[in-house]
Amino acid sequence: MVPPEWYLLLAAGVFCIGLFGVLTRNDALYFLMSVELMMNAANINFVAFALYYGDLTGQVFALFVIALAAAEVAIGIGIILVLYRNFGDIDVTVPTEMRW
Amino acid sequence: MYNALPPWTALAPALLLGLTGLALLLVDTIRPRSRSNTSMAVVGALGALASLAVTVWFVAAGTGSADTGGGITLFADAITVDTLSLFFTAIFASVTSLVVVAAHDYFHDHENPAAFYSLTLFAATGMALLAVANSLAVVFVALEMVSLPSYALVAFLKTNRGSVEAGLKYFLVGALSSAVFLFGISLVYAVTGSLIFAEVAAGIGSLGDLAGIAGIGIVMIVGGVAFKTASVPFHFWAPEAYEGAPAPVSAFLSSASKAAGFVVAFRVFTEAFPLGASVSAEINWVLAFGVLAAVTMTLGNFAAAVQEEVKRMLAYSSIGHAGYALIGLAALSAGGSGNGAVMGAAMAHLFVYGFMNTGAFLFVAMAERWGVGRTFEEYGGLARRAPVACTAMAVFMFSLAGLPPFAGFFSKYFLFMGAIDNGFIWLAALGAVNSVISLYYYSRVVKAMFLDDPTTPSALDTIDARPTALYAAVVFAAVATVLLLPGFGPVIETAEAAASALF
Repeated sequence: MVPPEWYLLLAAGVFCIGLFGVLTRNDALYFLMSVELMMNAANINFVAFALYYGDLTGQVFALFVIALAAAEVAIGIGIILVLYRNFGDIDVTVPTEMRW
Repeated sequence: MYNALPPWTALAPALLLGLTGLALLLVDTIRPRSRSNTSMAVVGALGALASLAVTVWFVAAGTGSADTGGGITLFADAITVDTLSLFFTAIFASVTSLVVVAAHDYFHDHENPAAFYSLTLFAATGMALLAVANSLAVVFVALEMVSLPSYALVAFLKTNRGSVEAGLKYFLVGALSSAVFLFGISLVYAVTGSLIFAEVAAGIGSLGDLAGIAGIGIVMIVGGVAFKTASVPFHFWAPEAYEGAPAPVSAFLSSASKAAGFVVAFRVFTEAFPLGASVSAEINWVLAFGVLAAVTMTLGNFAAAVQEEVKRMLAYSSIGHAGYALIGLAALSAGGSGNGAVMGAAMAHLFVYGFMNTGAFLFVAMAERWGVGRTFEEYGGLARRAPVACTAMAVFMFSLAGLPPFAGFFSKYFLFMGAIDNGFIWLAALGAVNSVISLYYYSRVVKAMFLDDPTTPSALDTIDARPTALYAAVVFAAVATVLLLPGFGPVIETAEAAASALF
């Protein structure tokens, strides 16, 4: 069996790739994909440690997370759609109606 | 008193909110052409009020309180109904009913108000679920159940650029912080092997050399909580979202959604990461919350003082109030005798805040409905045309500032006294200094409304509409703010009893 530390390292790596994408990409769709990556990093942990502890909690919760991530993307796509209709672009740095 | 009802009825407040939302959605789907704003609003408000009535009944009957045998647990310990959850559900249900009533006039010419009411009730259902969560899995699911309708609500005015931009920013920060929160949960699961709070707490007590991983996980969970409560460092969305969103949504988010963040924080950090075990594992989250509380209230109040728009000022003031409420977590000490008192005071502050802040944002909604501007100057002379509403707004402002004759004074007083009793004089002192600063910008609104002249003689001619429901909601919130002065005793007693049961 693969030692659990390797799963933690893999998950941390995937999470950091997602975070890097969130911080560097201006495109709203890339943002969604990056957030998805971060959530799946958590899923790796859940599934791996469910196996390690021999209980199903983590695996079941990973299924919940997949469903929630899909719901979040559905809302996100909706918002990106109205963003495109109003601003003609899906670059998240374009809308600057409000300034402090 | 023994409760003869089956255990699942303890969830009735959440069920009522959810079923009302579903019913509204169903009717709107079956008969999309005959959309009746009024009947939808009435049904939504009745649902929220029924939920509030059941919650108050449960609190009075002692459901789940320490006297009647402690919290009622359901679904294999994943959910627990106790006084803490009922106390917060009362906040959510009252704010929801106020917002639904006010939205009736705000969206009077909107093409699909039924969607607004059902989304608001779904978000309220999520909040009621957050209040009863006893497992990190339920916390995350309920948190998303609050967040997803909220994103849609902020962007509800689909052709308004400000609303869409606000929705986008709220969504971006929200999605990021919920991913961070989830990763934190996964790390905690990795080291403790459970998601149920009590078992997590047992795992935290015997971490060994895994304390580092647990520490990172807890810090990430703090981040998720900071987003929901609009605290530093995840506060950036708040001014934008509150300013761009339709004002009833701003009221809903800044009062109910913030309280929902705090109920999670209070329960998770006392039940799942108990202070004694966390500190002995060198995970001192009290210090983290102390720094967050100090920075949040200072930043919120200083930024609010330099705003020119009333709505944006209220947004920053809401960040400042998140800082005050964080004292409820920051002023805890392991085994301290005043822990229940200070957390109870923070809960009572959130309760009072639910009315006064909702009322203030609903007054802004009324100003938007009238078509007067958004800045302090454009509020000039408003009291001459709308004396009742402006008096209500003055009550909200002085209560938010914490002036003595209003309920906001008592909640802050108990909060700061609790912090001092528990040995956190610096937090109380900082809170008091911030309250003084806040008096400046709150009184600016009152001065503009009552003392200043209108910007132009015809500036107030647009005030011809008489939005009855909006008026009723604002006046009711003002009456509640004033009535909480004599009624503060039962509130603080319930809150302190609920908080003491956590330690």
